[in-house]
Amino acid sequence: MNSLRIIRLIAGNTFLEAVRQKLFLFLVFIAAAFIVSSFYFRDLDFGFSELKFISDFGFGAIVFFGSILSIAGAAQLFFNEIENRTALTILAKPVRRIEFILGKFTGVWAVVLAFTAMMTLLLMAILWYREGILMGMERFARDFPEGRKVLYGDILWVGFLQWLKFGILISITMIVAGFARTNLFTVVISFFILIICHLQYLARDAWAEIAFWPARMGVAVMGFAFPNFQVFNVGEYVALYEPLPWSVIGSLVGLSAIYIIVYNLLAVVSFRSREI
Amino acid sequence: MAPAIEIKELTKDFPLGLGKYKLRAVDHLSLRVEQNQVFGLLGPNGSGKSTTMKVILGLLTPTAGECRVYGLPSNKTAARKEVGFLPEAPYFYKYLSGLEMVVLMGKICGLSAARARERAWEVIEWVGLKDAARRRVGTYSKGMLQRIGIAQALVHDPQLIILDEPTAGVDPVGSAEISSLVLKLKEAGKTILLCSHLLAQVEDICDHVAIMNKGRCIRQGPLAEITEGQGDTEIRLDQLPEPEVEALRRWLGERGIDLRQVKRPQLRLDEVFLREIGKADLIYRQGSESVQLGSQVTSDKAGKDSENE
Amino acid sequence: MNPFWKSLALVLVAAFLVGLLARPVEEPAWQWVREQEPALQLESLEDLLGQGIIVGVMGGFRSIFANLLWIRGSEYWKEQDLPGMQTMIRLVTAIDPRPSFFWMNGARITSLDMPHWRIREQGGRQNVPEVVQERIFEEQNLAGIEILHRAMVYHPNNPQYPLEIGLIKARRMDDLEGALKYYRKASEMPNAPAYAARVYAQLLRRLGRDQEAYEWLAGIYPTLDPDNIYDRAEVMLRRIRELEEDLNIPPEERIPELARDSARK
Ligand SMILES: Nc1ncnc2c1ncn2[C@@H]1O[C@H](COP(=O)(O)OP(=O)(O)O)[C@@H](O)[C@H]1O
Ligand SMILES: [Mg+2]
Repeated sequence: MNSLRIIRLIAGNTFLEAVRQKLFLFLVFIAAAFIVSSFYFRDLDFGFSELKFISDFGFGAIVFFGSILSIAGAAQLFFNEIENRTALTILAKPVRRIEFILGKFTGVWAVVLAFTAMMTLLLMAILWYREGILMGMERFARDFPEGRKVLYGDILWVGFLQWLKFGILISITMIVAGFARTNLFTVVISFFILIICHLQYLARDAWAEIAFWPARMGVAVMGFAFPNFQVFNVGEYVALYEPLPWSVIGSLVGLSAIYIIVYNLLAVVSFRSREI
Repeated sequence: MAPAIEIKELTKDFPLGLGKYKLRAVDHLSLRVEQNQVFGLLGPNGSGKSTTMKVILGLLTPTAGECRVYGLPSNKTAARKEVGFLPEAPYFYKYLSGLEMVVLMGKICGLSAARARERAWEVIEWVGLKDAARRRVGTYSKGMLQRIGIAQALVHDPQLIILDEPTAGVDPVGSAEISSLVLKLKEAGKTILLCSHLLAQVEDICDHVAIMNKGRCIRQGPLAEITEGQGDTEIRLDQLPEPEVEALRRWLGERGIDLRQVKRPQLRLDEVFLREIGKADLIYRQGSESVQLGSQVTSDKAGKDSENE
Repeated sequence: MNPFWKSLALVLVAAFLVGLLARPVEEPAWQWVREQEPALQLESLEDLLGQGIIVGVMGGFRSIFANLLWIRGSEYWKEQDLPGMQTMIRLVTAIDPRPSFFWMNGARITSLDMPHWRIREQGGRQNVPEVVQERIFEEQNLAGIEILHRAMVYHPNNPQYPLEIGLIKARRMDDLEGALKYYRKASEMPNAPAYAARVYAQLLRRLGRDQEAYEWLAGIYPTLDPDNIYDRAEVMLRRIRELEEDLNIPPEERIPELARDSARK
């Protein structure tokens, strides 16, 4: 119980620190500008496909800027504590390292939740508005034979799943930060890992076909040691084409839970090895 | 009664880079801080004082040896329950006000929200920052930072208070005020471990000291014992006219005692300064009337063994 | 060992193990994502782009890439830039073959707009000989059909593409036999619009195969839902009645009208 309270306090303080920083406000602003700029597609006269363009852009902005926020936010909020020696002050209290790490994680994740929720709602609002207008235009009316077509509930789900993915990304960054000496190094390595996570599905398909066994081993290890982020890439399919099946949501929630829990514990391991 | 801190044969190595070269920051250190002592850990920069304190706080794991706080191994979280810590050159969260910061630390130490608030005001008033309590910590001066640092260390009313260089970079008024706070804490029954490279300053408030150099303890014991001159005796008298001095010299000469030095006692510059700005009450000196430290000095000799290393 | 290396080794081993553990949990989602994912045409992509963009394409932003390229393409369209537009259509559909929007518009631009661009480039309608113009239209129609064929590889169950091919063949190439094949194909798809079957019958009639048309419609009509406005059962019945007239089918052998829900009550 007491642990939960400490985690909540550290998380709350981390959240406060983040929203008082320029990086967060900057990313919120630029991502929102990106999403709003999809009003430009209005001029291209695409009909229903305009909504697809808007949703692609919206999710693209959420994934892109959300990833930056997750990595840079986690790294910066972690190293601020180290460099300002506030970590010393906190850890000299009856606070465990695991409570510190979980508090930091929760705080950053809450920041990313605020970001993802704002952007998803903004995207939904724009889609709702444009869909209403397109439905009222005679030449596109036949695109909407049964009223609104966009699956707004699914858009919310996709936003939620992206947030889970950011949770995994934040935990990875925390692991790296525990080992690393500088903020910059943490950010660079974490982005590198992010790219591997997006490409690892190639490795997992390819490894069986590689004849040279050391290479095969290496590729197999890659395929297992990094989470597959491509599997979270559901935003491109749903909302306009296909409803998101519950089995997929369940699978992704379970997957995220496993990774977030284990990676946070590993972040504690890496932080323990650190002399502060 | 368990000692507040007990360190036995503590050694701490830091790896240099990723290879096997190591820097020995603390070298077979043993010491014992009894309850209600003001213990000074002295020594030049880089002598391992902060490292020792971090081990006591469980922030670093010892390479060898052991460290106990109120009988508990220092790597246990519970050992820190009764400990307050002021880190060296504290920064704290710049975006919080002094009050918010102290309240947060109080809550983290397990106080309820209401109690944390109440205590925060108490300690902030106690360190004399009441007027600045609602200002952002980022705007504080060095001395204010030290004082808010002491406030956050005291918020949960710990028994043992560890202060790392509490007067470093603070002006004479500030450091005299901090010294006076330390003595008040002692009066309240607390145990204080403080470290400083400003040996003279610490001399006034400590009743027990250990002097470190390059990670080793080179001297340790009650302050009076350590600073005792070699067989000289100092006498202070009301103002003595010149002929009387001559008479005294003669009288002593008849008994085979050499009067080596006669001088007007001089004030230290910081004392002059404090008097000039009307804060003479902050001047504490060992044996002066306002605080009787001498009478309380325990004759503890444990921990002396490390001297022979 | 240095605690740093010890922890690092522990983290790597644990990451590998959790990867193994997570695999079965991930499976349902991964399977679904792969089903939605028509294979990327890496070869053709590599022809057109450097390796760098491929990575970007994989990174989950490929719909955005495709969209941006398409928007660039609409500039080419305004400028009537033939090679530019052709490249864009190939590129966009290669990067993101999922939206039918790219395929349909690509095909329409290719068969409807591009012949005019080519003729204009060669001197305009007045100056280009009739035969040459004919050939240009023919070529562009085939090019449009080619695009739709590629689309059908990715979307084998989408009737839009065979219908579009049928339309080109019937209307613009006078190839009724050819069109027939595609309308039939479309009408046999699970989510085919009702008109596909009717147009198929119309084409049969135009080819003089009334009996065949009648049998076709007679087979389909009972499967329609008279209460579903999209099925347009009454329109099909009208066509059937016309054929029954023409084929002199006696009244007692004629197809009975389907009862509506409201009438049944
Ligand atoms: N985290 C660390 N990594 C490597 N060396 C360190 C670390 N912390 C302290 N040191 C080294 O240990 C020695 C003792 O430092 P410290 O305990 O801070 O000295 P003091 O507080 O007495 O000035 C110094 O030489 C310092 O450079
Ligand atoms: Mg120090």
